[in-house]
Amino acid sequence: MTGGAPQVFAPWDDPKAKPLIEFRGVTKRFGDFTAVDAIDLNIYPREFFALLGPSGCGKTTLMRMLAGFETPTEGHILLDGKDLAAVPPNRRAVNMMFQSYALFPHLTVYDNIAFGLKRSDMPKSEIDGRVTEMLKLVQLGPFAKRKPHQISGGQRQRVALARALAKAPKLLLLDEPLAALDKKLRHDTQFELMDIQEKTGTTFVIVTHDQEEAMTVASRIAVMKDGRLLQVSTPPQIYENPNSAYVADFIGDVTIINGTAEPHPDGYAVHWAEGQAPLVVRSPLTLSSGQACHLAIRPEKVDVSKTRPEDDNVVKGEVIDIAYLGNLSTFHVRLPGGQMLKAQKFNTEHSARKEITWGDEIWLSWSDECAVLLDR
Amino acid sequence: MRRLSWFNVTSLTLGFAFLYVPMLILIVYSFNESKLVTVWAGFSTKWYGELFRNEAFLDAAGVTLRVAFISATIATVLGTMAAYVMVRGGRFFGRTLFSGMIYAPLVMPEVITGLSLLLLFIAIGLDRGVLTIVLAHTTFAMCYVSVVVSSRLVTFDRSVEEAALDLGCTPFDAFRSVTLPIIAPAVISGWLLAFTLSLDDLVIASFTAGPSATTLPIKIFSSVRLGVSPEINALSTILIAIVATGVITASLVSKRAIARQRQDQRAAVAGA
Repeated sequence: MTGGAPQVFAPWDDPKAKPLIEFRGVTKRFGDFTAVDAIDLNIYPREFFALLGPSGCGKTTLMRMLAGFETPTEGHILLDGKDLAAVPPNRRAVNMMFQSYALFPHLTVYDNIAFGLKRSDMPKSEIDGRVTEMLKLVQLGPFAKRKPHQISGGQRQRVALARALAKAPKLLLLDEPLAALDKKLRHDTQFELMDIQEKTGTTFVIVTHDQEEAMTVASRIAVMKDGRLLQVSTPPQIYENPNSAYVADFIGDVTIINGTAEPHPDGYAVHWAEGQAPLVVRSPLTLSSGQACHLAIRPEKVDVSKTRPEDDNVVKGEVIDIAYLGNLSTFHVRLPGGQMLKAQKFNTEHSARKEITWGDEIWLSWSDECAVLLDR
Repeated sequence: MRRLSWFNVTSLTLGFAFLYVPMLILIVYSFNESKLVTVWAGFSTKWYGELFRNEAFLDAAGVTLRVAFISATIATVLGTMAAYVMVRGGRFFGRTLFSGMIYAPLVMPEVITGLSLLLLFIAIGLDRGVLTIVLAHTTFAMCYVSVVVSSRLVTFDRSVEEAALDLGCTPFDAFRSVTLPIIAPAVISGWLLAFTLSLDDLVIASFTAGPSATTLPIKIFSSVRLGVSPEINALSTILIAIVATGVITASLVSKRAIARQRQDQRAAVAGA
């Protein structure tokens, strides 16, 4: 025990930390198509790392290269400092949970989980104990003697997880592990996954196209597009400080306003429409005067009111659309000049007296810290 | 139950009559007392007895079964291997040519296959007998097996094999312990198909059989040319019985397997 404040888990900020996986200039081409383009990336032990992107962005190819089912066209992948190139999939300390689960239909749940152990150095006497332990971890004890077609989809998902974890791999790969589950089960399973990841201390790399899932489970997220990494960071960083309009738009809801930047005390003033006051924003970027830029504004950062408030940025607009979601409502507001802006408001009041409806003129406001300036 | 219209009843009757009346006549006459095939002289099973005392027929039956068993087995091994490479081998050089060439014997006239094999055996100086029939039957049955097995492999979830590799299997171990058990039904039907094809082949066998070995179809064909004997009727009836039993059993077994699987799945969904 060292005492003091509890350590925050952030090995990526520690220059002395040794990464478990290193991608060094990894490129993968299929014919003329470049699926993965010169990627450099470190993943650290005990991380829950998410590869996030639309289909065809190269995230699955990146994962399959870790498993050994694809070989990089260029570059190297290191596991624990050793080049993986010459190691076939069956000799890697890496296991994968497949999107289709890929359970062996002719074997029972028990034999599915024992499959990898029987092919390892583990003595026969210990295999039974390990399988029982895995069955307990995923709460499938009573189903050990069933075949995969005799259990439900959620149970199959857990068998696949237990099978992949049984050999205690250094790295577990999860390819869209929850895509086949319904929404409620998916939510519960996300927390179960995090729990299991913490209990076993295994490094997880998950591939997903579901940004909410990535935000929930991951310690860090890599947002991919067209075979490149756009941003690699923690979920709050990616959400609050996206580094491009694409990332801002891909993660969560956002309004992007195009304009030109002009230096201003503490940041920039963004001119966005003829005859309108510029929007002020703080930013670490260095832009020249008159440079084209994007301003990204999250809807929940925008206050909605019927009377003019005092704030750094105040604009007036007309309500075009309201999406009522129960706990909150999203307003689609048209600003002068036609620019649309989304704003969210929690429905904390029960009465309908103060309700804002279609066609109302309302005021939208936000502080200079709440928007994100992006160059283009 | 729905009542069928007179039109449907008529077409059903005609269709089945067309298919089965000849066989029925054959079966009925196999129990004929008379030596004359077309004259009914009362019920008797004596021709079955005669048949089992006829050494030539028994020998031919033995050869046929042996040839069918061996050639079906070799054809299944080779055909499965060929199917696996064609489906799983990726896009290697000459793949289209090879897969075309595997299927070509399916459409090749049997006379040509038989003749070319005969020429080959003469050219390499191989005496015609059981071995040459086995080789010939393996050659043409292999492509049927490979068609059956590859159609199963195409619908097979590749990631199941990858999972086996991922869990520590060598490629051969993955094939043996995962792929093979899953495609086993297709492999078995491939074997059965090869076995049946070999059993009833006349054309290729008559090119490649020698004086030392005659198969049953050849034997039947040559005795019929000397006149149909009631013994042949008895033999054919036995063959029909064997085939019918096989087909009915197979369809019952697979129907029950499907029913059981459905029931399991319903139970799994209900219990979840």
